[in-house]
Amino acid sequence: MVIFGNATRAVSEDDFAGLVDSLAADPVGSAQLSDLLREEHPVYSGRGAATVVRMRGWILLALARAGLSDQALIFVLEELDTGIDAYLVAAAARALRSYSKPNESFAPFVARALNQVRYHDEPVSFESYGEYATSSSGTSAVSELLATLAWLGPNARAILPQLERWRVEPGLPRKLRLDLDRVLQAISATAGGTPSCCGGLPKGGNVSIRTSTARREFESIDSIVMQDQDGKLLKFVDFFRGSPSIVVFFYTRCDNPLKCSLTVAKLARVQALLDAQGLATRIRTAAITYDPEFDRPERLRVYGKDRAVRMDEDHRILRAIEGNDALRAHFQLGVNFVESLVNRHRIELYILDAAGRVAVSFERLHWDEDQVVIRAVETLKKEQGG
Amino acid sequence: MMATKRKVAKKLEPRKRKAGAPPSVQVAENTDDVRRLLKLLRNIGKPIGVRMAALQSLGAAAFSVANFESVNADYIAALRDVSTDSHEQLRRRALGILMRNKDGFAQKKLLNGLKDPAKALLPPEKALQLLGNDVHAEAYAAARAIVKKPPNKEAKREALRLLAADARSAPLFEKVLRDKKELRENRQLAASALHSLNPEKLQQQALKILKDKKDYSDIKATSLTALEQFGDDAALGKDKVLMQSVTRFGAAKAPAKYKQTARRFLSKYGR
Repeated sequence: MVIFGNATRAVSEDDFAGLVDSLAADPVGSAQLSDLLREEHPVYSGRGAATVVRMRGWILLALARAGLSDQALIFVLEELDTGIDAYLVAAAARALRSYSKPNESFAPFVARALNQVRYHDEPVSFESYGEYATSSSGTSAVSELLATLAWLGPNARAILPQLERWRVEPGLPRKLRLDLDRVLQAISATAGGTPSCCGGLPKGGNVSIRTSTARREFESIDSIVMQDQDGKLLKFVDFFRGSPSIVVFFYTRCDNPLKCSLTVAKLARVQALLDAQGLATRIRTAAITYDPEFDRPERLRVYGKDRAVRMDEDHRILRAIEGNDALRAHFQLGVNFVESLVNRHRIELYILDAAGRVAVSFERLHWDEDQVVIRAVETLKKEQGG
Repeated sequence: MMATKRKVAKKLEPRKRKAGAPPSVQVAENTDDVRRLLKLLRNIGKPIGVRMAALQSLGAAAFSVANFESVNADYIAALRDVSTDSHEQLRRRALGILMRNKDGFAQKKLLNGLKDPAKALLPPEKALQLLGNDVHAEAYAAARAIVKKPPNKEAKREALRLLAADARSAPLFEKVLRDKKELRENRQLAASALHSLNPEKLQQQALKILKDKKDYSDIKATSLTALEQFGDDAALGKDKVLMQSVTRFGAAKAPAKYKQTARRFLSKYGR
């Protein structure tokens, strides 16, 4: 079966589920399963967000059966870090338990997911592809996360105080309270033991340094026509050449508060940090929308203003008027669409050098504002030969 | 203990009511009450009025009962269960609650019903209305098909409403706005959608409508407001044909509010 290229759009959901199952059963299929989790994979093109959730959930469950590889680990952690869909969070929690060994660096991710999902827990069914639970007798996102914490055992020691606080708070169903007791026991009973020493977060976490050999052809992007929050037209080259810049991607209709809204609010914090170091005119910032047809200048302006984003000559919120596909290709954006609307995207921040090429990227996991500024300053120093 | 349970269960049962009055179920005070209401809701042996009242109380409980999150999974499961119930009103309410939470199960059922009417749980206009709660639902293609071949006028209206968030439907709204045979409600809706999706196109169409002697007064008034509030003042002020058309519109037989709109527009440009 074809799983690469545009032919994948024609694959029915049932065929897709069959393909995933066969890859999970194949000892060398794991790499292809990871590849299928890339947001930009053509298999997600033209599908609604709920369909994408079903498809990605099924891949995570296949990874749970086949064993989670190092390559796929980042996708699982990403879901725990920023996911709001109970089905995907539950599937990610289950997949993490199939990793070769528990590690203490996983505990904060599970804790974050638990904090996020516990107020809107849902019953989930993993029995067959696309099945939705109509009974709460099975598992749920919180239930899966607790099972993962039990698997982590002493490696979850850092979050023990948080779990103990939660234990005494009301709001936990009786069954899950028993599960939580077992988790606390698993962590405490072996608290004198040694947590796992090795493995854990993928090398480099969410940061990737792109060297000159990894840089893509960028000439075609220079002529992309963009429009800023005030309606001013400019070419990509006009804004992104001459000094390093920090670029985030977002869209105003994103309904995940842990993604676009937070990203743009954090960009405002990055701008403040640059300003405090006297770098606000030497390192530019931009937030570019994934959804240029809908995100017109007035929407961009209001969205930025509501999140305290500085908007002036060196700091803009942009949409591509012409050449959006070239923009996607240049940044290798982790995004896909149903018609013109985003159906899934990752978190992504890029630091561009003075030639407009990607020098550093922060992808999937939440980025730290200070780290971004440090990397941007390093890029600036390199430009100056420092 | 058993006696207490029976007492609470009885408390949640409908009170004796006057003939014709809808049954009422008392408000849930805690998560135990919620669980009993959920049982009542799922119980197909109970009269539909009682189950509807239980659903209404659950809706209130979702806001008012402390620690509702501990029963949220049960609530979602029960809503999904009754969303395929034989009683349409119950299906409608349950699917409505689920869609406001962007539930994938509800979305799938509604989309399947639009694609295959034999599987429809609700009439198309209601399904479209509920799907409109989630901009990420895969509903645009189904909505476009309904606009093209509407089963009834309500379904077409709801399909247009849903497409008002679709940037690629701007040309469709231009067409609807200019079509004098189209229902005026739909033309108004098209004007509003165009203003959101492509304001420049609305300005262009508004100019054409105002210069068209045969178009309707209410559509002209909407067009006039769009130009007055969002138009290019410099260009509009120089457009003599437009000013003549608006003067004519203000003097024609039309409701006073439309004439007032025309007067306000003309005075803005010193006429």
